[in-house]
Formats: sequence, structure tokens, C-alpha cells
Amino acid sequence: MKRQVFLIAGKELKGMARQNALKILFAIIIILLGFALYAGHIAYKQQKVMVETAQKERRAEWLDQGNKHPHIAAHYGTYVFKPKTLLSLFDFGLDTYTGTSVYLEAHYPHEFMFRPVQGYGNMIRFGELSAALVLQLLLPLLIIFITFQTFTKEKETGTLKLLVSQGVSIRSIYLGKVLAYSLIVFSIMVPFFTGLYIVGVIEKTSAVINDVGLRILLLFCVYVGYLWAFTNFSVWISLKSSSARNALLTLLIFWIATGIIIPKTSANLGETLHPLPSMKTYKEGIQHDIENGMNPNDTKEKRMARLKEDYLQQYGVDSLNQLPLNFGGIQMQEGEEYANKVHDFHDATLYKKFERQNKPGSLMGFVAPYIAVRNLSMAFAATDWYSFNNFQEKTNTYRRHLIRTMNNDMAKNSRYGEFYEYKAGRNLWETISDFKYLTPKVTMVFKYYWMELASLSLWVLIMFILIPSSSKNKLI
Amino acid sequence: MKLILLLWQREGISIIRNTFQMVMLSTIFLLGTYAIYYGNSKIMEQHKTIKNVEHIEKNKFEHYKNSFYSDHTAVEEKQLFDIASNPAYAWYRHEYHAILPPNGLSHMSLGQRDIEPYYYKLTGTSLYYQLFQSELANPLKLYVGNFDISFVLIYLFPLLIIAFTYGLYAEEKENGMLPLLRLQTIGLRKILLIRIAFYYALIVGLGILLSSIGFFVSSEVDILTVSLWISAVLCYLSFWFALMFLLISLKKNSSLTAISAASLWLLFLIVLPAVLNVYANIVYPIDNTSLADVTRRRSLENEEDLDEAKAVVLEYLQSRNDLKGADSLLHINTMAKAYAAFTALNDNHHRKEVSDYFTQIRLRQKKISLFRWANPAVNTQGVLNEIVESDSEIFQSFYQSIESFHKDITRFYVDKLFLNKEITSKNYEALPKFNLKIDSENRNQKIKNGLLEIMVTSLLIFALSWLLFNKTTF
Repeated sequence: MKRQVFLIAGKELKGMARQNALKILFAIIIILLGFALYAGHIAYKQQKVMVETAQKERRAEWLDQGNKHPHIAAHYGTYVFKPKTLLSLFDFGLDTYTGTSVYLEAHYPHEFMFRPVQGYGNMIRFGELSAALVLQLLLPLLIIFITFQTFTKEKETGTLKLLVSQGVSIRSIYLGKVLAYSLIVFSIMVPFFTGLYIVGVIEKTSAVINDVGLRILLLFCVYVGYLWAFTNFSVWISLKSSSARNALLTLLIFWIATGIIIPKTSANLGETLHPLPSMKTYKEGIQHDIENGMNPNDTKEKRMARLKEDYLQQYGVDSLNQLPLNFGGIQMQEGEEYANKVHDFHDATLYKKFERQNKPGSLMGFVAPYIAVRNLSMAFAATDWYSFNNFQEKTNTYRRHLIRTMNNDMAKNSRYGEFYEYKAGRNLWETISDFKYLTPKVTMVFKYYWMELASLSLWVLIMFILIPSSSKNKLI
Repeated sequence: MKLILLLWQREGISIIRNTFQMVMLSTIFLLGTYAIYYGNSKIMEQHKTIKNVEHIEKNKFEHYKNSFYSDHTAVEEKQLFDIASNPAYAWYRHEYHAILPPNGLSHMSLGQRDIEPYYYKLTGTSLYYQLFQSELANPLKLYVGNFDISFVLIYLFPLLIIAFTYGLYAEEKENGMLPLLRLQTIGLRKILLIRIAFYYALIVGLGILLSSIGFFVSSEVDILTVSLWISAVLCYLSFWFALMFLLISLKKNSSLTAISAASLWLLFLIVLPAVLNVYANIVYPIDNTSLADVTRRRSLENEEDLDEAKAVVLEYLQSRNDLKGADSLLHINTMAKAYAAFTALNDNHHRKEVSDYFTQIRLRQKKISLFRWANPAVNTQGVLNEIVESDSEIFQSFYQSIESFHKDITRFYVDKLFLNKEITSKNYEALPKFNLKIDSENRNQKIKNGLLEIMVTSLLIFALSWLLFNKTTF
């Protein structure tokens, strides 16, 4: 049987090699893939230089801000810029839609600013060409074009009956054809991912991701699974269709429904079911909770009165002036800590809403494998929402550390009731180390994207089940 | 005429009998109605937010006005009166809103309305500290885009056209009907065109029906916007019909015609725009990192140094010849004046950087738009966004108008501050107001050009197909 499978695969490959239209399509895919990777690499390099330069400048500004009161320095603050991760050259993911820089200052945890999408104009809604897009949407279309008549043509010309009558099982023919088309897909995938790996090794100076190799391997596995399932599905549709036209229409409808319509409708449905508040309402909610407390006993006034009482008791003194530290600094830090608590609560609620909005999409991955692959691809490339959120959390932690250090210094080194009399200098600014970011380990993906992994695995499994058994030789 | 009716009747019957085609038509209709519902719900949310924002602003200013008539015995009343009447507090406490309200038909093409902020809270403090805020948005949702009626018309309607027309000639040949048709006295091209016209009427009719539902849902519709919308739909769908006529005229078999049509759909709707977006990104990169710094909250170097404060005020007054006599009053409220002067000087200092940033964006968009004519899908999307005022240019006009609104706010308070004048209750009748300045003439011209480009492209393709049909053989 093995021999038959290889013979049929060889025959299919020869047949395809004779078709000029397919050669052109194949070449177009290769060119697009190459261009996408090249453009992705240039964009990555440009962004890398911009971010590194800006980060250095802001760091120098922070260190050279001169002598001033630590609270003024905390308001002066600093900026953090989101670095491009190396694999963004393969899959831009959500990079265009998330902010690129954030201002870190006392009291106000700012939102990320400057979403690159704002600079593109109307056309950005048509998407950007990335290598991931080619593999997710265009390559499957090529697979459709080369496979839709693989069985129907044999049926129309009668060669299928001839083969079966000579003792060749449908299973062998099917496997031979799948093998041939899979080899074509592999001939694109293997050099491409090898190239990506080489770029990854060359560019390793970028310390933002330290498991690039593993991520590329996982990306390769995901795309192999997806494209193999797609190839198998297309061949199966051809086997089950009465004519080439029916097979083509069925496959094109499947491609459009699962690649264009379902991803959009499910995302829109998620948004309709779980609408987000406006920024104004969101910020007001936070401000309200900071002022009035998250429970009746936590109003700002009560919190401050308790804090004062605690400190007076702790140091056994009657007035704030007698404390060995500046109560102003303590008060400010307490305000920050409470505000952080409120922000954490509201942010978690908001992010839960994001997750709920995205859930219908993830669930639809069981119907539309494109969604599962799209989400997994950006997750492995670290350009997804969770990777961005992780970066956001790290900047938050950094900001809190910076403000805490300033407030603690104020409490320790200045006197209650005085402000401009105390000035800190470079020694204090230097205690805040420069912001460094490392993308979390790839294992994070398995935690957040188990549904996508399950749906893709299910698709692969179903495709195995669909392979005709050797006992079934009945033609349609 | 009799022939037309006969052929149309035959096509009508064949559609009714073809379950697949009926399912397709119904699905598109249902998707279209959902798209209108979705677009409308998004715009209703925005209306709700705008209403809320306006209500808050109105309420606050009512409180300020009322504070002039209270006796100011309670601490809160006194504080409120100070904020209402003393420009030293009011210039950074009075909150205004600049709003870009949705057009009556924005729900039909949401465009950039979910990407760009459509309202801003503004005080007299640094403009750039306030300008670069963004609205809450789920990035994955932004990435996926909106399922509005413009999406249905631009992406899905061409598929409907392809599905109904790709086999109009080839299938007759494949079914053995062609020799019979050749025996007729009228030419094949005429028969084909009559049949295409049937599907044109059907699909364009469906497009207009869905659009009409969209118009009906809207509370305010003007005839010009409706006419332009319908013209855009007609032009775009005509382009696809012309393209299909071209493919049919090549007289290839049905599978090859379908593959070619699907490839063209892919080319116009995914590949070309996606390539162009990437090209724009690498050829015209936008560096916003340098701009981040302008959003920094800054204050005087030495806030306790009165001499430095006076120097800052004097520096500011040098550029304000209209504030005559203000320099002799600078010993009163010096620190408040210094802070206001510092903020204005700081904004002036960064104006060029910000302007350069917007120029970069405008340049990139201008360069990309040079390719717009070559892709009727992108062109139509642009035109539809422009018609319903959800395009990127209107947001740029919005930013520019905000800049002048902020100037008005600053002057309103800062002038009084520097001339040691109180804000009176009468001043509340002439508060700064936001005005959106749009170059309507230029916008209308752009829409007309866009429509003309699509129309000319369609006509050229149609003419080419007309000539090709009789020259090619199956």
C-alpha cells in the first residue's frame, strides 16, 4: 500500500508541475511571503531603533533632571516605550492596535498612547500583509485551487474507476494525493521557517524574547497542523463532490465563511454582548472609588485619619511634627497604595470584559480553524493581547516602584510641613534602574489559549477520521 | 422587451429553484440587517457617551453660575465661587468638551470612529497633555474590524455577484446549451447582457434595500448623503459586474472563471491593500516616540522662586502684545500667572514637534491615497467613510479644531488672570464654544473624484469586455 501511496503522490506532483496557472499561483505565494518577511524585518528594525533611542533619551532626562523635591520628580516621571518583539516580523498581531508608549507619573496611571493604527487612514481596516496572513489565508486558498478537482477530475474522466478496478484502494489514492499536496505545502513551510529561524538567531541581540527558537518551532507545528488539516479537508471535499464546480464552490464558501465572515461576526457579537464603558465613565468610576473608598469605611478622609492615628500611636507622639519622618510622604504613599488597589480592581474588571468579548471568537475556532491559528500565531509571536497586557503590568510595577521610592525618600529625608526646602538629586534618581522588559515564557500561551489548541487539535483529529478506511472502496 | 422579460423570468425561476442561491441571498440579507443593527448599536453607544459628557459639562457650569448668587458662608460654597470667579483656579478647573458627533449615517460605515477618540475633555492646561488620550478599546476587536453595512457591501456583495454570474456562459457550454443558443436570431452577447442585467437589478436592488433599512434606522437623514451613498453603491457594484463580464468574455470554463474571480476578489480586498499598508509603514514610518515627551506634566524649575516666576510671565507677555498693562500687574497672583504662562510657553515650544507628527501622518495618507483610484474597493470604502464623516481626514480636522478651541479656552481665562479681572456671571453667557472646521468643498470634491474614478474604471472594463466577447472563442 505504501508503494501505491508514493506512486500516486508522484503522479499528482508531476501533474501539478505541468500546470502553468498553479506554478504562477505558487510563485505569487512565495513572493508575497518573502515580501511580507522582508517588510516585517524592516519595520522591526525601524521600530527597534526608534524605541531604543527614545528610551535612552528619556533615561538621560530622568537622571539629568537636576535637584528637586522627590514629589516633583515623581510628577516629572518618565516614559516607557513598547519594544517590538522579534517575531513581530512574522506576525504583527495586535501591535498596530495597542499603544506604543506610556507616561509614568505620580497619582495618574496613564493609558498607553499612540496606537500606530491612528497614522494609517481608512485603508488599515483592510489589514496588513504579514507572513502570518499569507500562511493563514492565502496559502489555504492556493490549497483549494490545487485540490478542488483532484478527485472530481478522476471521476469525470473515469480514471478513478480504472484505478479502483486495478486493486488500488480509495484510501491509497486519498493518502497519495494528501501526501503530494502536503509536500507542496512543506516545500514552502520548511525553507520559510528555516529562514525565520536564521533571522531569529542573527537578531538575537534583542533581549526582549529569550525563547525565540522554541516559539518558532511551535509556530511551525501550529501551521503544519492547520495547513495539513486544510489540505486534507479540501481533498475530502473533492472526494465527496459530484463535480469540480461543486467542490470549488463548497471550498470557497468554507474559506470565506471561516476566514472572513465568522471571525468578524463573532468578534462583533462579543462586543455587542459585553460592551465596554467609555474612557470617561471608566476613569470617573476609578476616581469615585479613590475618593469615596471601595467600601463605606474607606473614604479618603477616614483612611487618612486612621493613618494619622496609627502613626501617632506607633511612635507614641501627640502631633505629626514630632514624628521622626515626614508624614506628608507617608500620606502620599498611602494614597498611591489605595489608588493602586482601586486601579487593579477596575483594570481586572475591564480585562475580564475583554476576555468575555474575545470568547465567542475562541469558541468559533472549533468551526473556523483560521481563528484558532490566528490567535495561536500572535500568541507565539508575542504580539497578542496577553503579551501586551504583561508588558502593561510590568510598566505598572515599574511606575509603582518609582513613585514608592520617591515618597519614601520624602518621608525619610524631609520634614513635615516643608516642601521646597528639601531637594533630592542624581543619587536618588539613580536608585531607579532603567526599565528592562523580557517577554514571559512561551508556556503562558498554553494557559490562555487552551481552547484554540483544543479546536486545532480537534480539526486535525477529525481530518484523520475522515481519511477513507481501506475497507471502503465504494465510489460516489 | 419581450425577450428581456422572458429571459428574466427564466433567471427568476432558476434562482427560486436553486436552493443554494436562495440560501446565499437570504444569508447576505440577514448578515446585512445584523450589520445595520451592529453599526447602529455602536453609534448609539457613542451618542450615549456624548450625551453624558454634555450633561456633566452643562451641570458643572450651572453650578458655577449659581455660585454667584449664593451667600458663600459655607466652605464648599466659597470654594465653588472661587473656582467659578477666580481665573487663577478656573483656567485649569473648568472642563470643556470638544465633540465630533456621529453623522446621521455613521452607523452604516463606522470607519475610524472606533479607532480615533470622538470627544476630548479640555481645560486651559497643556493641550498636549490632554490631546493624546485614547478611548478604551479591545485591541483584538480593533484588529478584526467592524461588521457594518459598508463591510457587507464591499466584501460580501462582490462574492454574491461572482456566485451568480461566473457560470453564465461557461455553464451553458458545459451543459450543451450553447449550440441551441447560437441558433437564436439574437446574439450571444445580447443574451448574456440581458441575463447579467437581471442579476445586476437583483443584487443592486438588494444593496439598495439594505441601505434603505440603514437610512430608515437613522434619526436624521439628508437627501444629499443618501444620494451619494446610493451612487457609491451603484458605482462599486457596477465595477464588479463589469469585471465579471470581462471574465465571462474570456470564455474559460466555469471552474477557471470562478478561480479567476475569487483571485481578483482576493487581490482587491486583501492582497493589494495589505501590501500597500505594509509599504506605507516601511517607506513612511511614523515616529511618535519623540512626541511622547510633549505630553509630560511640567512645572517651573523652582516653584518657590518668585523672580523666576516673574521672568516666565514676562517672557510670555512678550508674545502677547494685546495684554497691555499686564506686566505692571504681575506682582499680584504671580505664581498662578507664572504657571499659566509656563504652560502656554511649553505648548508653544512643542507646537512644531506636534505639527511635524501630524504632517508625517498627512503625508503618509496622501501618498497612500495616490493608489486609491487603482483599487475600487479601497476607493469605495474611502468614499463611504467620507460620505458619513467617519474618515481619517475628518478626525484630523477635529484635532486642528481642538487646537483652536484650546486657544480660545486659554485666552478666555488667562487674559482675565493677567489683567487681574474676575470672571463675572455675565461672562458665562459668552463661554468658549467648540466649532468643527471642515473644508466641505474639498471633501465633496474628493467624494466626487472617488465616484468618478470608480465609474470610469467600470466603464473601461465594460467596454473592454464588450470588444473581447466576440473576439474570443470557447
